[in-house]
Parts: sequence; C-alpha cells; structure tokens
Amino acid sequence: MGEKTTALQASLDRLLESPGVTGVALVDAVTGLTYGAAGDIAEAGDGTDVSELAALIAERLGAAGAEGELESVVTTSRKRQQVLFSVVRPAGDPLVLAAGLDRDRANAALALRGLGDRAGEVLA
Amino acid sequence: MTAPAARNVPALLMGLREEGFSGTVRLSGSPGGAIHVRNGLVGAIDTPGAPTVTSTLLTSGRIGDEAWLAACAVESDADRLGGQLVSAGLIGAAELEVVCTAAVFDAAFALGLRAPGGWELSDREPALVARPGVEPRQLTEETSRRMTLLSRLWGPPGGLARVRPVAAAGAGTRRPEGALARRHQDVLDHVNGRRTPRDIAFALGRGLYAVMLDLVRMEALGLVQLDSSTTSDGRPSTAPRAPRRETSTETSTETSTETSTETPAPKAAPLPKRRPGGAIPPQDAGQKGG
Repeated sequence: MGEKTTALQASLDRLLESPGVTGVALVDAVTGLTYGAAGDIAEAGDGTDVSELAALIAERLGAAGAEGELESVVTTSRKRQQVLFSVVRPAGDPLVLAAGLDRDRANAALALRGLGDRAGEVLA
Repeated sequence: MTAPAARNVPALLMGLREEGFSGTVRLSGSPGGAIHVRNGLVGAIDTPGAPTVTSTLLTSGRIGDEAWLAACAVESDADRLGGQLVSAGLIGAAELEVVCTAAVFDAAFALGLRAPGGWELSDREPALVARPGVEPRQLTEETSRRMTLLSRLWGPPGGLARVRPVAAAGAGTRRPEGALARRHQDVLDHVNGRRTPRDIAFALGRGLYAVMLDLVRMEALGLVQLDSSTTSDGRPSTAPRAPRRETSTETSTETSTETSTETPAPKAAPLPKRRPGGAIPPQDAGQKGG
C-alpha cells in the first residue's frame, strides 16, 4: 500500500523464509481485500478468489453439518500447493493467510505445519 | 487553498497524489465526509455512511473505552494515536494497519453509493490514519470491484443499502447450532425489518460492505429476506443514532440538504391560538404537538 515497509509487510516477508514458500498474502475473508503480500503474489492467489473459495467451502461444510469455523484449505497439484489458513484475531472479520508452496523445494508437510504455526503471528 | 479542477473525486485524489498533498478533502452531499490525505495517500475517511476505525475498535470491544481514553490523554494528536495504541500494547501494529486500511476502503465504498455534492480542500485535520496510506488508484479500483460484485450478486448497491432486512421464517432453526458462522449469527441477531445494512454495520462495528455482502450470502442461504420494497426513502440511512425530536424545526434544518430533492420535510403544526373567551377551538385541539 505504500513505499515504506510496514509492520504487516515485515511479518509477511518473514514467512517467505520458510522452506518452499514462494508467495504469501493476507486477505480479508469477507471482502477479499488484500492487505499485504510478499514474494510471488500470483503463487499466493488473488484476494477475491481466495475469499470466495474459502467462503464457498465454509458454506458447504456448514450445509453438510460441520461445526465451527473453517481452519485451513489445502489445494495440491503435482508441483505446487496453495494453502489458506484462517488467521484468528481478537475482534473483527476473519482473515485468510494464503500461501503458495513449491513441492520440489521443501517437505510440504513440514512447510504446512510451519506456516500454520506462524499464521497467528502475522498480526503481532 | 483552492481545489484543483477535477471532474470527480477519484480524479481529484489522483491529482493530489501527484502533488504529494497533505490535508483534508471535505465532501458535501449525502452522506458526505472528510478524506484525510497524507503525502498524496489516503490515510482515513470519515463519513456517516460507514464506521470509522474508532467506532470499529470500540464497538467490537477490541479496545476498551477506558484504555482508549487513556491513550487519547497521552497522545492528543490523532495522527499519532495509532503509535500510542501500539506502544501501550492495546493492539498490534500489523493488526491496526489492517483495521485502518479496511476502514478506508469501506468508507470509500459508502461514499460511492451516492454521487458527492462537491468538495473543498482544507488544511490537515488530525485523524487516526493508515500508515503510509492507500494509493488513490487502488481505492478507486477496489470500490469499482465492490460495486460490480454486489450488482452481479444482488442488484444495484444503492438499493441494497436502503433495504431493511428481515429474518427468514425458521432462520433460527434451519441449521443446527454451531453450523452458522459467528458473524452470520451476529447479523441475524440484528436484522429486524427496521435496520439498514449501515445500521447493522454500526451496531456490530463491522464494515458496511462486509455486512452487505454477508446479507446477500445469507439471503442465498435462506436466512434473511432482502425485499427491496421495504426501502423507505431514496438514500442510505445516515440518521443520527439519537432519538428523533418530535418538533420538526431543527430536524428539517439538519437534513434539509439530504431530503430537498425527495420528500419535503413535514412542517410543524401551528400552535393552538387562544381566542377571546379563553377556549381552544375544536379544530386546533387535536394538533398540539404535531
């Protein structure tokens, strides 16, 4: 959103240090607005698409009788993974941390776990 | 200071971006408001059409009233209040950035629901601003995207803003407890056929666009009814959240610019006249108090 590095940008930049993470974006789960991004933004995913996908899955899960809020979504192709993590915040609409992973560069399972553990730190 | 010649507000903001302007753009009309610009970037927008950052943080309970007042006492310049909130540990810097940025886009959307009357530039007015701010071009593009999406999903966004949603029959029992997202449940708890999306947004401390989008999704889920015939006037509700006065003299002054092209403000009934003999004539007796 500007030229100076902000606290949010610094948080997202740090997530790129995780092995295999090619791009990350913090997205408003309701409006689809992208608050910040780092790395290859296309790998993380478009904010609008990310929010609509998360909303659609949450609705279908709810209709199927699932309880509670959506926690994460993992989409896997032969080379890449796109991961959506719900970011818990004390108040306000939910956020989604979208990340693109290169499966050739890292152990996907470890990268997923690492990102999941650090998703909550984005807003610190 | 004079406003540069611009054909509309987005063009004005683009021009101010090139100039690196810092100050305030005051918008007239309904809902009107103030755009706080810092170094050409939009830092905050105050408008009665959407909750501000302050409203969002306090209504949602993210920051308590006492803590907020204490922070304001320490830092009287609202431009620097954000730093004080962070240093006092009331909110994280990144989270505050998210809240401030969301409020800017939401207010821009609220302003976009109606054509502004006009604008004038003034010196900087203190405001809790997003740092460093939002690019005007990005603001315009996102607002357009929001309008387009709502138009596709429901219809004219201006019409949706005037709807007074009601809960669908059986909405509370249609799904098992816990299957509904908490924010949807919160919206459902606040629809009553009288509140507009704006009223619900203010009551919940959420963004107007987010509430409108949720209402559309909830209608698709069969939880609410968005009947456009329930709209009562030609504009989004921007009424003050205070009890309306019975006498109309002051009220009509306050809202005359908003209603002048629509329904004329009702005139106050004439006061009963005392006539010789001390009796109040029968035709006046029932009009007291209007």
